[in-house]
Amino acid sequence: MNTADEGKNSLSRDQQQARQIARRLITSHRSERAGGDTAARAAAAACDHLYRDLSRWVGPDGCHALFTRALAQARTEYPALEQIQLRARSEPYIDGVGETIMAHGDAPTAEALESMLVRLVELLGRLIGDDMAMKLIERSLAASERGEATSDGRREEA
Amino acid sequence: MKGERAAIRSLPSGVPGLDAVLGGGLPEYSFNLIAGGPGSGKTTLAHQIMFANATVERPALYFTVLGEPTIKMLRYQRQFDFFDPDLAGSAIQFINLSAEVMERDLGEVLQRIVSEIEGAKPGIVVVDSFRTIGGQHGSSERGASFELDQFVQRLALYLTTWEVTSFLLGEYTEEEQRNPVFTVADGIIWLSQATDRNSVARKLQVVKTRGRAPMPGLHTFRITDNGLQIFPRIPEQTRKRVQQKRERLSTGVAGMDEMIGGGVIAGDAVMLTGPAGSGKSTVATQFMVSGLAKGETGVIALFEEYPEEYLSRANTRNPDVGKMIEVGKLELIYLRPLDLSVDETLAAILEAVERLGARRVVIDSLSGFEVALAPTFREDFRESLYRLVGTLTATGVTVFMTAEVSEAFSEARFTTEKVSFITDEIIVQRYVEIEGELRRVMAVIKMRGSDHTHEFRTYEVTAKGVVIGGPLTEYDGIITGVPTLRKDSAGVRSLRKKLAKTKRVK
Repeated sequence: MNTADEGKNSLSRDQQQARQIARRLITSHRSERAGGDTAARAAAAACDHLYRDLSRWVGPDGCHALFTRALAQARTEYPALEQIQLRARSEPYIDGVGETIMAHGDAPTAEALESMLVRLVELLGRLIGDDMAMKLIERSLAASERGEATSDGRREEA
Repeated sequence: MKGERAAIRSLPSGVPGLDAVLGGGLPEYSFNLIAGGPGSGKTTLAHQIMFANATVERPALYFTVLGEPTIKMLRYQRQFDFFDPDLAGSAIQFINLSAEVMERDLGEVLQRIVSEIEGAKPGIVVVDSFRTIGGQHGSSERGASFELDQFVQRLALYLTTWEVTSFLLGEYTEEEQRNPVFTVADGIIWLSQATDRNSVARKLQVVKTRGRAPMPGLHTFRITDNGLQIFPRIPEQTRKRVQQKRERLSTGVAGMDEMIGGGVIAGDAVMLTGPAGSGKSTVATQFMVSGLAKGETGVIALFEEYPEEYLSRANTRNPDVGKMIEVGKLELIYLRPLDLSVDETLAAILEAVERLGARRVVIDSLSGFEVALAPTFREDFRESLYRLVGTLTATGVTVFMTAEVSEAFSEARFTTEKVSFITDEIIVQRYVEIEGELRRVMAVIKMRGSDHTHEFRTYEVTAKGVVIGGPLTEYDGIITGVPTLRKDSAGVRSLRKKLAKTKRVK
């Protein structure tokens, strides 16, 4: 059982929902990949995609502020995120993924990034209501599942 | 093709009272400006309009620029009841333009708006707040202003050709009304809030609506959990006066009907004045109960007492009052905040009258009502009350108002000079001293188009209500508060006889 799953039973319904949607986001960026480091790269691509999509609604600065807070919260639990940097208005948005995988491995990096995504969903839910936050993220997910994740190629190159 | 005009459809604003003020709703495909200072309600108004009109087929696009962060805007706006989160993302899309505004020029901002409109084919477009567009690129103030004017001009043209009803939100002061954007706009809605002593009054003005005849003047509004609610200044404008048969309505006070020639004339405005504790509210309740007993419905607007206090007092004399409320025959409206407007009060009473089909309305009291108004509305209380009473009686209801008159014991003030002219019937109560006792007397001083008694009658406030006694025909100077027995009165005659007898015996 990994760290994220340990407290699963004590998660509230909203937390479970947040985790579920974060995983779906990551999965949607994972399917087309191959190789040993897919989980972490897929999680980073999901973050890039969500940043781009949410920026349309709340602006790149607003979205960056959300991610910054989520990263800070996740870092307290996942030291692997120390090397992760957020680059506002840049592609890719999540930087330092390669270095983190090298230092901590693919699965721990993926788990840490997933945790950051979960914190972001929860934070957005607290700010604008869980129902609306879910709706916005579902929208992003739908776009991602339709194959509109245009930055994935750039993430591969990065 | 001569004589064929393009029909301009009206869109509902979704804001109670606003369609009436706009002269029938928002003209479709119009380019509107919602102007006002910070906190005046511009964003909330735009959201209300958007949620009332957006559909998946014709969505609404809400462009946010700089200023209030979108996330905060959504956080606060979604507290309103009209905000349906299910529409967000489908029928309503929020698009943030801060990157275009900060990093690119106005041409690119316009291009982004255009491309979003082409993609979504919206019915409603809001740009909040467009004044923050421009002036971001180090150009001079004059240059930035010219650039912004051009931007607005092009945007207006573009939005109209795309058959979009649009709203630009901007912070303007009243001195800026010569700004070219005011010329370009088809409609201008101005929101303001004025602080007077400790109260704040919000007002809305439709400065301009092309193709419509809006209601002139300033209309008060309130922002509640339901969003904005406008209280149109001249609500009777569209109403036809209901003609009443000159039927007499019993006051429910034995003896009082006789004093006023057989009862209150249906559709009249009656005012009962008197000092504190003289029994005004008791008479007003009896008037209402008398109607309820005949199967009528009624509304009591309270301005001095809490409804619970009023009910517990009223129930001791008339146990049916509480029951009548339960069965929907009577409604108590409690209006005691200190920032009311007359129009808001009128709207609350009218709504209740329409809901119940009420025939009788009691306003208890005008003195409390005046105090409940925001200071700014107290200044034109007389004119406002004239409109309130006029509008209520136009619906056919009979209005019974109480008013407190403060008086020095020896100085009679029958009515408050401010409001007596608005009433058809005036009854006064006062205290007098007779043989060392404080007594209550009542008289009718005005009955428009009807006969009435001219004498002072004593009355008592008993456990069952007000009971009228006999006339004080033997006294002079009742009006002074300290009457004296008339020289030719029976009392004086009998006293003289007694004195004469005593002299003869001696």
